[in-house]
Amino acid sequence: MKALVAVKRVVDYNVKVRVKADGSDVDIGNVKMSMNPFDEIAVEEAVRLKEAGKVSEIVVVSLGVKQCEETLRTAMAMGADRGILVETEAPLQPLAVAKLLKAVVDKEQPQLVILGKQAIDDDANQTGQMLAALLGWPQGTFASKVVVADSKVDVTREIDGGLETVALKLPAIVTTDLRLNEPRYVKLPNIMAAKKKPLDKTTPADLGVDPAPRLTVLKVAEPAKRSAGVKVASVQELVAKLKNEAKVL
Amino acid sequence: MSYRAPVNDIRFVLNELAGLSEVCALPGNEDTNPELVDAILEEAAKFAEGVLAPINRNGDLHGNTVDNGVVTTAPGFRDAYHQFRDAGWVGMRGPVEYGGQGMPALVTMAVEELWCAANLSFSLCPLLTLGATEALHHHASDELKSIYLPKMISGEWPGTMNLTEPQAGSDLAQVRSKAVPNPTGDGSYLISGQKIFITWGEHDMADNIVHLVLARLPDAPAGVKGISLFVVPKFLVNADGSLGARNDVRCVSLEHKLGIHGSPTCVMSYGDNGNAVGYLVGEANRGLSYMFTMMNHARLGVGVEGMAISERSYQQAVAYARDRVQSRALGSDDASSAAIIKHPDVRRMLMTMRSQIEAQRALTYLTGAALDKAARHPDAAEKQKAQALVNFLIPIVKGWNTEQANEITSLGVQIHGGMGFIEETGAAQHYRDARITSIYEGTTGIQALDLIGRKLASEKGTTAKVLLTEVAATVNKLKAAGDLAVIGDALEAAQEATIKTVDYLLATFDSNPRAAAVGSVPFLKQMGILLGGWQLGRAALIARQKLADGEGDAAFFESKISVARFFAAHQLPQVAALAQTIRFGAESALEIGEELL
Amino acid sequence: MTILVIAEHDNTTIKSGTFNTIGAAQKIGGDIHVLVAGQGCGAAAEAAAKIAGVSKVLLADAAHLAHQLAENITPVVVELARGYSHVLAPATTFGKNFLPRVAALLDVAQISDIVAVESADTFVRPIYAGNVLATVKSADAIKVITVRTTAFEAAAAGGSAAVEAVAAGADTGTASFIGQELTKSDRPELAAAKIVVSGGRALGSAEQFKAVIEPLADKLSAAVGASRAAVDAGYAPNDYQVGQTGKIVAPQLYVAVGISGAIQHLAGMKDSKVIVAINKDEEAPIFQVADYGLVGDLFSVVPELMSELSK
Repeated sequence: MKALVAVKRVVDYNVKVRVKADGSDVDIGNVKMSMNPFDEIAVEEAVRLKEAGKVSEIVVVSLGVKQCEETLRTAMAMGADRGILVETEAPLQPLAVAKLLKAVVDKEQPQLVILGKQAIDDDANQTGQMLAALLGWPQGTFASKVVVADSKVDVTREIDGGLETVALKLPAIVTTDLRLNEPRYVKLPNIMAAKKKPLDKTTPADLGVDPAPRLTVLKVAEPAKRSAGVKVASVQELVAKLKNEAKVL
Repeated sequence: MSYRAPVNDIRFVLNELAGLSEVCALPGNEDTNPELVDAILEEAAKFAEGVLAPINRNGDLHGNTVDNGVVTTAPGFRDAYHQFRDAGWVGMRGPVEYGGQGMPALVTMAVEELWCAANLSFSLCPLLTLGATEALHHHASDELKSIYLPKMISGEWPGTMNLTEPQAGSDLAQVRSKAVPNPTGDGSYLISGQKIFITWGEHDMADNIVHLVLARLPDAPAGVKGISLFVVPKFLVNADGSLGARNDVRCVSLEHKLGIHGSPTCVMSYGDNGNAVGYLVGEANRGLSYMFTMMNHARLGVGVEGMAISERSYQQAVAYARDRVQSRALGSDDASSAAIIKHPDVRRMLMTMRSQIEAQRALTYLTGAALDKAARHPDAAEKQKAQALVNFLIPIVKGWNTEQANEITSLGVQIHGGMGFIEETGAAQHYRDARITSIYEGTTGIQALDLIGRKLASEKGTTAKVLLTEVAATVNKLKAAGDLAVIGDALEAAQEATIKTVDYLLATFDSNPRAAAVGSVPFLKQMGILLGGWQLGRAALIARQKLADGEGDAAFFESKISVARFFAAHQLPQVAALAQTIRFGAESALEIGEELL
Repeated sequence: MTILVIAEHDNTTIKSGTFNTIGAAQKIGGDIHVLVAGQGCGAAAEAAAKIAGVSKVLLADAAHLAHQLAENITPVVVELARGYSHVLAPATTFGKNFLPRVAALLDVAQISDIVAVESADTFVRPIYAGNVLATVKSADAIKVITVRTTAFEAAAAGGSAAVEAVAAGADTGTASFIGQELTKSDRPELAAAKIVVSGGRALGSAEQFKAVIEPLADKLSAAVGASRAAVDAGYAPNDYQVGQTGKIVAPQLYVAVGISGAIQHLAGMKDSKVIVAINKDEEAPIFQVADYGLVGDLFSVVPELMSELSK
């Protein structure tokens, strides 16, 4: 069966982003960009399923600016077979991404779509669920284990307080959590081979989707700096502050 | 302490200074392009940061142990090597016909910088394998090549270089190990003797190890012209390629060293039971000349090591200086203590480190690009010019990068203050690890003699003068570039001082070789600083242009200009002082009686 | 303006995050209805009715809602949502799982993980792992929102809302629940723990480390850490070491007990959200990074702390 994986190009997780002086947005010009770490896990899972003979072809999709091609090449170096770039300069919010992915899924007809549970830039944690809703498919979010059998997939999910396992009829959506797997290091020959794998391009207009954002960012700011520490006089005061001021108990 | 591959600066140097696109355009490099190189760098960076850097300290703390000839590597090294091997990094520059990727030296060098910075001890294993691979590829019979090269290039069988013996260090004419025709008459030889300082000579990371060993045949002439090169595998290889009997070669002990503890430095004994089987590489008695063909790559590789370990030390020092709060900032109204990065002398030390590293990276990669042109340029004259440039620059890159690595990593310790002297901090490891780089593959003294003799005097200063002319051209551009003129002035003064030392050395080398030799290391440093300053001047010109065009990362380009200005103010003036030493310092070094030393 | 809050519950009681979500709804203002969807969840609905500020509780009770699978709960919420200005759920794995489905079917954006309410259509939410706070305004008719529960006060008890049954929809049949495995009461893993209690050389012995640090950690459901000095002295095993050469931790709460605060140790825990230091040396460097410092003898302070936490 065919698997489709969505990958997002985001600010590298090592970069500490800065807010623009006018507070209009974060400044991501010229910072290092990488594949969203949860999406790397998604690609890795698809490649493992292919290696296990459960998946026959992996199509990887990215949406955004031209440079997303690099992200697709990385996914192909990891083992995806071909790439699709939905190219647009427009900022994309999760609902628009889900609609665009639905259009791609309608064309490609995969049985399994794997996405990262969230992107580390907007931290929205929505796209997989939205795509599942638009397709009317079942979903296994925050997956820490994925077992594919004939016409179903069992997904173990990381939930607050433990794990939950659900059985989903295929076709289905899976979103990945950190413990699902550890993405491989890419092999040098595969980097070169990835340059020769097919990469198709399309646009939101081609797919008939209006990607206009629904949310307007009014301003961004850095959270208040750590206030200088205080000495407390008693255990009672300490516990009270931890409960009421710091709210960590 | 984590390591972040300096991919931005590497990319800038590759594309803007070293001419990556020209290298990619050379015949045989058609499959390489700057976008592919970018992708390779990103993945290599992930591997260096994620796999190699985290075990660097393990190597230092645990080192290697030997028990009855069996060497156990530090925790994590074996797994890391297997990942490294499986990812195909060992064969990056290896010949395509034997399974390598045939990547240009320039690109391989950029990746090697990351391995060396992340984990110098580890990096030596694949680096030596590469050297051994090249020796076999250039000189061995097709039969030997087909047996050994595919396995070495895949990383399954790492290689070693066995040159040194207790009495034969820098002077390999003293090699005494013996090779006699195998009485079985199968064309092989029996090797006997002891080799020392054999890096990664024995370990637990691979099924087999391929030793390249220098030894003398029974009828060999004395001296350098009587040394032959042999392949001696740890396990003999059967006709079907499977591993056969254990060969009569063993590690008898490991050296206790100042640094690079993660790399096993072995004393290797051949033929204790009279049965160490070896195979002659190429022709008899040509071994040393075969080794010398590898020397350029190996020396350049050590130059990369010096620059890389300096970068690692710098990163650690910057991180500490941002974090460590101590004393109020000079001239500040704020009475509270400030991060030490605000203190002027700490900034001076950090910039001393940073500016030299960037100068070295540029000069080193320029040499890498010349190596590719010397190997593959279609035009014979260009090819020859590139080879002359390689020959001239290699002792400078090797000697200057590694001498400065000692100073730069020392500054790395200094910035940490007392904490730097404490091993747990980790700054001291880089200082100790760096120390070997100005010693092995030819000490700085050896490099400097090579520079003034074979590279300068023997060609009457041709290449030196070509370079000085190119420096002058950059001086003119800088002097016409507004606020960069100050860099141009400093570079011009250094260039003029160097012209005088070149003339002096050319005049003195034959008439008073001992006087010239006293000035050889100062000359090597002088050339390093001058040419490094030249590259930073070029970088500043490009950065200024990019800023004017509003192209790319403005903060990065502004920092390139600051770095060039700092180097011009703090490093380039040393050239004139070194010129004085070279021209007027010989007599005082030689006049004092030996017994008074 | 009426707000629908989707309750997280276990069929008998309402989970605490729901109270904070109702607290967020109160900040927005307007009538607040709560949906309790599950199987045999009447008791939970009754509990919801007693929360102050809730004017109506909607009860969807059906076998296919037993495990609140996203596939089955979504149609119930979508059906109801069209009558509301806002739909809120806690930003827990419960709320995050189904609410984006709801938003997509309503063809509206979801606003994830809000930490502040600026107005009925403008909210503050963290992005870039909390390093940046974005203020966003929604243009959609229905605002679908998940709420970071720690950012809002919990709604108090004291309501008496009516409970009204609503249609529970049908089983979509595409997903089924297989099982659940809730974490045992073992201590959490050091690097991932929300709370870490670390001990230093001042503990004096391995026995005292065990007797003082471990009960406090268990009380707080915390992981146990140690300073390099304590590990070197043999008071705690190697894998407890927090610091530059040990584990790097960034929990919500880091409690340093009898740790002076050597630079290497600070490097391993300085990104913790809240740092508490307990040390008898007033000049100990640990106090420079601690949010709350308590100068005192740990052997009397820790037991006192244990009993205060039990209150």
